Amino acid sequence: MYRVGVAAVWMWRISFGALFPTTCKYHPSCSQYAIDAVRAKGLLRGSLLAGWRLLRCNPWSRGGFDPVR
Amino acid sequence: MIASFLLGSPLTPLEHAARHILNGLHYGVGLPWAWAIVALTVIVRMILVPLTVKQIHSMQNMQRYAPQMKEIQKKYKSDRQKQNEELMKFYRENNINPAASCLPMLVQLPVFIALYYSLKTFAKNPPPGSLSFLHFIPSIADKTTAHWGGYILLVVYVGSQMASTLFMSATADKMQRTLFMAMPLIFVFVIAHFPAGLVLYWVTTNLWTVGQGLITRRLVPKTPLPELFKRSSRTPPKPESENGAKPPVEEAPKPAAPAGPRKVRRKKSGGRK
Repeated sequence: MYRVGVAAVWMWRISFGALFPTTCKYHPSCSQYAIDAVRAKGLLRGSLLAGWRLLRCNPWSRGGFDPVR
Repeated sequence: MIASFLLGSPLTPLEHAARHILNGLHYGVGLPWAWAIVALTVIVRMILVPLTVKQIHSMQNMQRYAPQMKEIQKKYKSDRQKQNEELMKFYRENNINPAASCLPMLVQLPVFIALYYSLKTFAKNPPPGSLSFLHFIPSIADKTTAHWGGYILLVVYVGSQMASTLFMSATADKMQRTLFMAMPLIFVFVIAHFPAGLVLYWVTTNLWTVGQGLITRRLVPKTPLPELFKRSSRTPPKPESENGAKPPVEEAPKPAAPAGPRKVRRKKSGGRK
């Protein structure tokens, strides 16, 4: 089931993701984090984690090393 | 096909919202459809201003540390993962807030999709009123390449995308920057299949980015270089000391020279490190 999530991330990466010349402030990047998250926690919890990470990836946050725990 | 089926149903409310705003701008304000799209883009970007201005500020802040960051990138050239980790560590140590963040670009995605579906509906059931733009694009709902005017729009898109990349790419990596600059040249082939109105959205948002970049750069004074790389105004502008790395090496043999006043000067500039 997690493959759906991974496929969605890849669709983002090759479409809109490539259109924006920005890189993420976190490591691993948000898209990689999303892949790791759905792999480790399943589609539902992984997506929620990825969503939370995206919200944290805003101009006011500090960024940094933040792997899926 | 599958993608549009998957994306279509949950995104209908988005399309309705976009259509609602476009209707308001067209019937309420009296803008032609094409200009309603431009206005919608401007509204979206105005809402995003606090986010992007903060981003530009932290980008300027980051530029002060560019030499050190380049050094880290050089050091871990072969290991991308390690390079990123080291950069993150450097940010943390120097209290840097990295400029790039995913949220502002993600916010624009729903608008883009909503506009895409609205324009598709426009193509099927053309609304009352002209769909043309500045007389050179007969219909914003048609495929961009359907008319010669679309090609002009595509050229403007490539130019504006490159210009906005120049302003917004937060990376100091030259290779990556070049790659980002070349991206629109590849993407133009994908974008050519979209309705002209969507390209119009993209051009507008790019031009906004460029304008915003120019204004913030002018309004916000350039931050001074960090102490480490700043040369004291009293230091004589010697050609050898131009390189940031040279002065400390040069200092070692100098104390042997008996030149009085020069030595005092050296000490002062040396003390600042």
